[in-house]
Amino acid sequence: MTAIPIPFPQRPETWNLPYRGKVAMASLIIGESAIFTIFVVAYLFYLGKSVSGPTPREVLTPPILFTIFLLSSSATIHFATRFLERNKVGPFLGFWLFTIALGASFLYGTAREWQRLIYGHGLTISTNLFGTTYYSLVGLHAFHVSVGLVMLCLVAIFTMLGGVDSEQSRRVGVLSMYWHFVDAVWVVVFTVVYIVGR
Amino acid sequence: MEKPANPGTIEVPASTAWPFVLAVGVMLLFAGIVTSMAVSALGAVLSVAATVGWFREVLPREREEFAPVIPESIRLTTERRVVERFPVATDQVRAWLPVHTYPISAGVKGGLAGSVAMAVLACTYGVLKAGSIWYPINLLAGVVYSESLRLPGRLYSFHASSFGIALLLHGVVSLLVGLLYGAMLPMFPRRPILLGGMVVPVLWSGLLYTILGLLNPLLASHIDWFWFIASQVAFGIVAGFVVVRQSRIRTRENVPFAMRAGVEAPGLIPPRESEDKRQ
Amino acid sequence: MSSDAITMPGVNIDDRAWVDVLHRWLTTVDHKRLGILYILYALFFLLVAGAEALIIRIQLIHSHNDFVSPQVFNRMFTMHGTTMIFFVVMPVLFGFANYLVPLMIGARDMAFPRLNAFSFWLTALGGFLLYFSFVGANGLYGAGNAPDVGWWAYAPLTARAFSPGHSSDYWTLALLVSGFGSIGTAINIIATILCLRCPGMTLNRMPLFAWLNLVMSGLVLIALTPLSAAQIMLLIDRYLGGHFFDAQAGGSAALWMHFFWIFGHPEVYILIIPAFAFMSEIIPVFSRKPIFGYPIMVAATIAIGFVSMSVWAHHLFTIGMSSYANSFFTITSMVIGVPTGIKIFNWLGTMWGGKIQFKVPMLFCIGFLFQFLIGGLTGIMQATAPVDWQLSLSYFVVAHFHYIIVGGIIFALFAAFYYWYPKITGRMLSETLGKWHFWLFLIGFHLTFDLMHIPGLLGMPRRIYTYEPGRGWDTLNLLITVGAFIQGIAIMIFVANLVISYFKGDVAGNDPWDAWTLEWSVSSPPPAYNFATIPVVESRRPLWDVKHPEDPDSRYE
Repeated sequence: MTAIPIPFPQRPETWNLPYRGKVAMASLIIGESAIFTIFVVAYLFYLGKSVSGPTPREVLTPPILFTIFLLSSSATIHFATRFLERNKVGPFLGFWLFTIALGASFLYGTAREWQRLIYGHGLTISTNLFGTTYYSLVGLHAFHVSVGLVMLCLVAIFTMLGGVDSEQSRRVGVLSMYWHFVDAVWVVVFTVVYIVGR
Repeated sequence: MEKPANPGTIEVPASTAWPFVLAVGVMLLFAGIVTSMAVSALGAVLSVAATVGWFREVLPREREEFAPVIPESIRLTTERRVVERFPVATDQVRAWLPVHTYPISAGVKGGLAGSVAMAVLACTYGVLKAGSIWYPINLLAGVVYSESLRLPGRLYSFHASSFGIALLLHGVVSLLVGLLYGAMLPMFPRRPILLGGMVVPVLWSGLLYTILGLLNPLLASHIDWFWFIASQVAFGIVAGFVVVRQSRIRTRENVPFAMRAGVEAPGLIPPRESEDKRQ
Repeated sequence: MSSDAITMPGVNIDDRAWVDVLHRWLTTVDHKRLGILYILYALFFLLVAGAEALIIRIQLIHSHNDFVSPQVFNRMFTMHGTTMIFFVVMPVLFGFANYLVPLMIGARDMAFPRLNAFSFWLTALGGFLLYFSFVGANGLYGAGNAPDVGWWAYAPLTARAFSPGHSSDYWTLALLVSGFGSIGTAINIIATILCLRCPGMTLNRMPLFAWLNLVMSGLVLIALTPLSAAQIMLLIDRYLGGHFFDAQAGGSAALWMHFFWIFGHPEVYILIIPAFAFMSEIIPVFSRKPIFGYPIMVAATIAIGFVSMSVWAHHLFTIGMSSYANSFFTITSMVIGVPTGIKIFNWLGTMWGGKIQFKVPMLFCIGFLFQFLIGGLTGIMQATAPVDWQLSLSYFVVAHFHYIIVGGIIFALFAAFYYWYPKITGRMLSETLGKWHFWLFLIGFHLTFDLMHIPGLLGMPRRIYTYEPGRGWDTLNLLITVGAFIQGIAIMIFVANLVISYFKGDVAGNDPWDAWTLEWSVSSPPPAYNFATIPVVESRRPLWDVKHPEDPDSRYE
């Protein structure tokens, strides 16, 4: 009945566990995917069920240019994080700002489209089922882009203040995961709204 | 986990009020929708302030405080020194049970033997009591083939369709029950014949007796329950007897997964038995 | 032993100390304190929602009763359901997960301690927002009006035309806010379990408690978010004039039902899986045997997680789906009984041949096994579409899910309280009061919920305000109410036990039950840093290895 001084066995030679930020962001992405799934299902379920106009075919045109902008921002943010991992802060900042510009131009595209729909075609969220589902689905995505942009801008500001180097590259990598997710969601939203939905 | 910066203390995350403030802010932001915009505005201000505060807390790296290590004398012992063990196998202290089981072929043989015994008894009943050897066969087919029961006279004559269905049904079910016996009898080491041959068939017959009247009253009205139970018991005893006559083999639960899967893993761990002998 | 880890507000007399204590608890990011906060918060709401249940039962005690008005009655059953699910059972389960998961996997805190605090406060303030509706639901200038649309808030009841004022909005917003908190906690639990395990603690050696909470958190991520999405749609309908659930503009009320139950049925498993986790830790210790079939338990849990995502529409057999949909959901609902049955067999297998100690935690576990089995069987009955057509929306359904939630989850929770209270406070709960609590609660439970099946079979609809005499319901309802009060008394004994034992209970020591998981290797209550040296484990029962160095588990796994 003696107390055992070091009760536990020796630690194993290698013990590697995943980075918590990555796991958490992956979990968040799973949850967000479920939210988007519900909105996409609602959009598809209500296709053609509006009792009054306008219909998607009449008013929607695929925003191909802005889609290219958003999707290419996935590439630029990827290069940016690569540079940061090698501690090349200058090129990192360049690509990072380029990413922000691409994301902002996408938001501008969405805003232009909404303006055209609201003032040109009189389609608001309360006009018909198409309006309700369209604005909530695209709006939910635009909200996620906006949140991402705010975070990207914060990182840019911290970088300019000299607070970001390769030590922070894992955290920046987590943010870039989110941005890739937002882009991937747009592929789904684009397909559903502008290809299947018309 | 890294070593603490100075001995005698351990880094723990520093307490902070910002998560609480942010939660209040977010809640007020939403509560404003049902109360008034001023509440939302206050919530927004609190949220922004708390976000800034939170960022300052974790950037460039998380703020931590040092908690002094409290010397404690933890005794991890137990009063229960005696561990009771089943004598499972001579060479093993612990093992997955059962250590021995019957090969699959034992279940197949048992099932087939049982099916013959059951068929003989059922046909005897048909000839002696019902007056036709086809009567029990047509009844069995009637379990799934309602045509077989449609006309009362039909039960007493030969019909190829009923015969085929009954044969198939009898064979498959007997085989499955035989396999089940092969798997289960090692689990019940005491009096397997009594259990498998008597108790289980009687329980099964009892279950059918109570519910067959609800499930298929027409079928139930044709069954002679004494002979039904007799043929069930005949199956059970013969199948159980044949199964336990087979020689047992070791289960492979106690060897490593790689060996069971037949993988040629490098540095495969030797079987547990040899390890125990070494110590 | 760190005394401040358990100091509660009100213990100190000094004014200044009071503020200090309050400040410490408001700003804490320690997973143990947040766990305690979750649990205390849930206990408070347990009393509130319990009182609401008693009001419902008093109203139904005899025919043509008018103890409360129909409006108040609607609010009571809505608030009772909402509170019990979202502000009692979920927080208390999160509380135990918060407290125990880091201790069991040998970590010093959760992966994101600040997020942890944020999530708790969101959940907590969501509950207070919901209850603020009693005074504020008409926008601060009218009489209060709590939500009264039932806890599943079916459309079109929630449309502006049928639910004027803000009561339904309080329901939506409170659940949205607390839902964000739950998602944060789920992310935190997943990250903690995957990233902070101590050396040697492979997934295959993790305590089942951690495994089951991992699966539960994954379910929260994919099941709670659809509710949040649906609630955002509801808000769009109510505030921006959207038409999601507005049948006059082509919208569909059935879509809300589907969205709600896509959340609602996995939610049941979110609640029951942590109860399974308690069982899987407590039964082995009081049977003095390792858990039977560890890998199968993990596999069954994951199977339950997956299948639970495809059973939701068995709540909707009566809305007129196609026969293919009915068949599909009947089959999946029955299939989910298989892994659940495997679990019951494994717990029995653990007890089989063990040296069972009938301490209070084990008593509650045994109660759980019986009642969960019966509740599961009535569930299988109703999974059959034709039976459900007969029984849907009757008191039979109410009896069924209370059998699961009270007879299953709440019994498991009480077992967990009696089992881990010594770890959390350093004091044992009184066995005598515990046995009174157990037997009274058991009797009350069976009186209430066994009998409740019968008026359901006789056709008594759920949520009914009152009923005609002479239908054979009167005596039964009287007895059901009596049972509810017996349960209330038992809960009071439990609360008294918590308080009395906190001050006067026997000192527990670090390992009062002679258990095998890592939380029992540190003092009770554990110090702020949990482990002075991070442990290293080699088997599923690290403390068994330490206590029996001549025969460690690690040699056999």
